[in-house]
Amino acid sequence: MPELKIPIEHKTLENGLRVVVSPHHAAPVVTVGVYYNIGFRLEPQGRSGFAHLFEHMMFQGSEHAGKMVHIRLVNSSGGVLNGSTRYDVTNYFEAVPSNALARMLWLEADRMRALKVDDENLRNQRDVVKEEVRVNVLNQPYGGFPWLDLPPVANCNWANAHNFYGDFADLDAASLADVQAFFKTYYAPNNAVLLMLGDVKPAEGFALAQRYFGDIPPNPALPRLDASEPPQTEERRATVEEKFGALPGIAIGYHAPARRTADWHALAMVDQALHGGRAGRIYRRLVLEKRIAVDTEGGIHYPMGDVFDYNGPMLMTTRLLHKPEFTAQQTLMEFDAAVREVQEKSLGEAELEQVKVKFRSDYYSTLEAGMGGYLPRFGLMHYLACFTLFDGDPGLVNTILNGFHEVTPAQAQAAAQKYLVAGNRAVVLRVPVAKGAAA
Amino acid sequence: MSAPAVEPLSPLVPALEAERAVVWPARTTRTLGNGLQVVLVESHTIPKFNGQLLFRSGNAAAGGEAPGLADITSTVARTGTARRSSRQIEEDLRRMGADLGTGAGSDTSHISFSGLTEFSADLLALAAELAQQASFPAEEFERERRQWIEGLKIERATPGFLAGERLRRALFGEHPYAVVSPTEAEAQAYAREQLERFYRTHYSPAGALLVLVGDFAAAPMLEQVEKTFGGWRAPSPAARPHPAPLRPRGRRVHVVHMPGTVQTQILLGNHAITRQHPDWFRLSLANSLFGGAFSSRLVMNIREQKGYTYSPRSTVNPLREHGWFSVSAAVRNDVVAATLTEVFYELDRMRSVPVGEDELADARNYMTGVFSLGLATQDGLTGQLVNVYLNDLPQDYLETYRAKIRALTAQDVLAAAQRHFDSGNAQIVVAGDRAQIEAQAALFGEVTVYDAHGAVL
Repeated sequence: MPELKIPIEHKTLENGLRVVVSPHHAAPVVTVGVYYNIGFRLEPQGRSGFAHLFEHMMFQGSEHAGKMVHIRLVNSSGGVLNGSTRYDVTNYFEAVPSNALARMLWLEADRMRALKVDDENLRNQRDVVKEEVRVNVLNQPYGGFPWLDLPPVANCNWANAHNFYGDFADLDAASLADVQAFFKTYYAPNNAVLLMLGDVKPAEGFALAQRYFGDIPPNPALPRLDASEPPQTEERRATVEEKFGALPGIAIGYHAPARRTADWHALAMVDQALHGGRAGRIYRRLVLEKRIAVDTEGGIHYPMGDVFDYNGPMLMTTRLLHKPEFTAQQTLMEFDAAVREVQEKSLGEAELEQVKVKFRSDYYSTLEAGMGGYLPRFGLMHYLACFTLFDGDPGLVNTILNGFHEVTPAQAQAAAQKYLVAGNRAVVLRVPVAKGAAA
Repeated sequence: MSAPAVEPLSPLVPALEAERAVVWPARTTRTLGNGLQVVLVESHTIPKFNGQLLFRSGNAAAGGEAPGLADITSTVARTGTARRSSRQIEEDLRRMGADLGTGAGSDTSHISFSGLTEFSADLLALAAELAQQASFPAEEFERERRQWIEGLKIERATPGFLAGERLRRALFGEHPYAVVSPTEAEAQAYAREQLERFYRTHYSPAGALLVLVGDFAAAPMLEQVEKTFGGWRAPSPAARPHPAPLRPRGRRVHVVHMPGTVQTQILLGNHAITRQHPDWFRLSLANSLFGGAFSSRLVMNIREQKGYTYSPRSTVNPLREHGWFSVSAAVRNDVVAATLTEVFYELDRMRSVPVGEDELADARNYMTGVFSLGLATQDGLTGQLVNVYLNDLPQDYLETYRAKIRALTAQDVLAAAQRHFDSGNAQIVVAGDRAQIEAQAALFGEVTVYDAHGAVL
C-alpha cells in the first residue's frame, strides 16, 4: 500500500487552542475550519436538539460582527461557508480565495470570543430549525429513517438515545440563558481546534492564529460527561409509522467495537464487504439475487458519518426498503443469512483484498473534497480535526489506513461472530400507515 | 421596509490581501476519428482520476411519448455486457477501487466513473464496454424496472419532486421538457427492446464527449483513450425537432394536493434563457444577488428576518433548447401567502431599483471567488470542463469568466432582472395540504388543483 505523506504541522496556543496547518499551493484557495469538541450527544437533558440550534446561533452575531455580517463577509470575500452538528463535534468552516485567510480567522475568533445574540435572533432561528426538521424529517418519505429512529431503541444512555434534531417542545423551551451558558461552557479555545488547509504557509498560519485567537480565555472547568453505553444482552425491537411511503422499511443496528482497536479495524472491513455498494453482500443478496429489497445501504456511523469521525458508542447500521409482498420476517431472514455467511466462512481472500482497495480509494476521495467540488480538502480538514480532538494526533491522517490493511480473513470472521449477533442489535420496522399511502 | 438594515462593518475587519494568481488547467483535446471529443486535464491532488462520458441524448430525445426512457436505459446498461455479468461488473469496480454511475437528464445520458490511477486502463476499458456492448439481460431489466417503479412511487410522495414536476408541466406544455418522470403504467409498459433501441441509436461516439481529470500524464492517457475508444463505430444519432413549449401568460397558481402535510413546498418559475444567450452572465449575477447565495436578498428576507423557511433559493436552469428561472422555499403552512408576498416584492425590487455599488461588488466577488474554488479539486474541475465542452462554450471560457463577471454593472443586473425575472407571468406551484393553503395561494392567481398523479381535482 502506498504511503501517504500529507504535510501537517500543528501546535497548541497557550490558551489551549490547537492549530493545524496543511499546506498545498496548487490553487490559490484556502479552507478554514473551527471544530468544537461538543456534539449533539452531550447536549443538556431536557434540551434535545440544542447543540444544533446553538450552531445556528453562531451565525447570528458576535462581538464585532453582528447578524448577517458573518455570512455577508464570507460570501463577499468570494467564499462559501457552513456548519454542522455531529455526534461529537460541531464544526464551522469556510472555503475562500487565499487572500481572505486573515479575514476568516478574524471572523472565527470574533465568534469564539463572544456571542452577541438576542431573543429575536433565537426566535428567528428556532423557526428556521423547525422548518429544517420539517423539510428533512416530518414532511418527507422515510424522513429520519434510520438516523433518528434507531438510536432511541439501540441505546440506554440519554446521551445516545435522545432525539438529536430536537423535540419541538424542547426547542421552544430553549432560552437565551441556555445559549450563553452553552457557549461559555463548550465554546472555549481549549475545547477546539483551528484548521487551515491549502494555500497557506505553516508559519504564516500559526502567526495569524496567535494574533487573532491568542488572547481568548480558556475554560478551566471543561465538563466531562459520560456517554458510555451499558453492554447489551438481548435484541431490542420497535416499530415506527411511515406516513408517506408505501414500502416497508427495516433498520438494523449493531453496537460497533471501540475506535482504534483491532476489532474495530476488522469490523470495518466486514462492514465494507457487507455495505460496499452494489458489490456489497447485503445489496447483492437482498436486491440483486433474492429481489426482496429495492434498496439497501449502511455502514458504521451511517448515514451521519463514517468509521473515523465519532468518539463514543456507535452503531453499524443497515437501512433497507423491501417489497410489500415479502414480510419483515422473510426479509430479516435473508439479511441474517448474509451475515451468517461471513460468520461461517469469513470473507474470501480476493474479496478482502478488493474491500481494502475500495476502502483506500474512498478515503482519498474524502480527503480531497468530501463535501463536493467547492469545498477543497473538506474531508482532510474533517479528519485532521477529529484525530486532533479525539486522539491528540492529526498525523493519524497519514497512517490510520495501515491497521485496516493488516486485517486477516480470520480476524474479519471473528469480529463478525462477536459483534453481529442478535443480542447486540436493535431492529426498527418502519411500517407504512396505509397501503398506497402515496396516493 | 422588508429589507433588513445592514450594519456597518467593524473597522477591525481585516482587508483582503492581493489576489494570488489562478493556475488555469492545461487542456489536451482531441476529436477521435469516430467523432468522440476527448478532453484531458492533469490534476495531481490525489492518486485518482474522474471520467465523464456524455451522450447528447437524454429523455427529451425519446420525445414526449416515452418519458424516462433514457433513465431506465442508462440504469439497465450497467447490469451486463457481452463479456461481463452484473456481479462481475460490480466486483471488477471494487477491485479497481472505483465508483461508476450511469444516468440521464433531459438532454444527456452519461457514464461517469472515478477510480485509482493505478487501474485507469482497466476502468476505461469497462466504461468503453458499457458504452458499446451493454447486453440488457432480461432478468436484470425486470428487476431494475420494478425498483424504478417503487422509486417513482416514493417520488410521488415527495413535496419537492411533485412541485418540480408540476412547474415543468406548466412551463413546457407539449415540449418533452414538460415531463420529468413516467407514470407507473408507462414504466410498466416499457419493453426491453425499447431500451436496446434507444441505446443503439444514442450511445454513439459521434457527438459524444469524454472528459478525464486526474492524477495521470496527459500524453500516455490520450494514447490509452485512443486505444480503448478509437475502434468504436456507430452512426450519429439524428436530432429530432421538438414542439414549441407553452409560454404561459399571466400568473397562475398550481396546487398539488398532499393531504396531511405539515409544510408547503413553494416553487415558482418562468421561462428564461440557455447558456448560449448573451444575457447569461448578467442573469447569473442577478440570480446570485436575488437568491443564489447565502447572503442573497431572498435568504436574508424570508429566512434570516422572517424565519419562514430553512433553505430558500433561486436557480437559473439552463437546458439545451430552453431555460427557466425558479424560486423555491419549503415553508410552514400558515405563511404561504406571506412568503409569496416577499418573493414577489424582492423580484420586483430587482426589476425596478438598480442594485447599490457595494452590494454589486460583493456579489461579483462572490461569483469570481466561488469559481476559483471550483478549479481546486478533481470533482470541481470535471464539472467546469463538462460545462464548457458539453455546452460548446468558447475555448477561453474559464480564463475569461472572472473578467466578464467583473465588467458587469448595476444596469446589466437591472436589465437581466427585467427580462428574465418575469414575475408577471410566473407560474406558482404550491405542494401541500389544499385545505390549509389553497385560499392563501388563490390571492396570487387563478388556481388549479391537482392530485399527486396529475389529475385535476
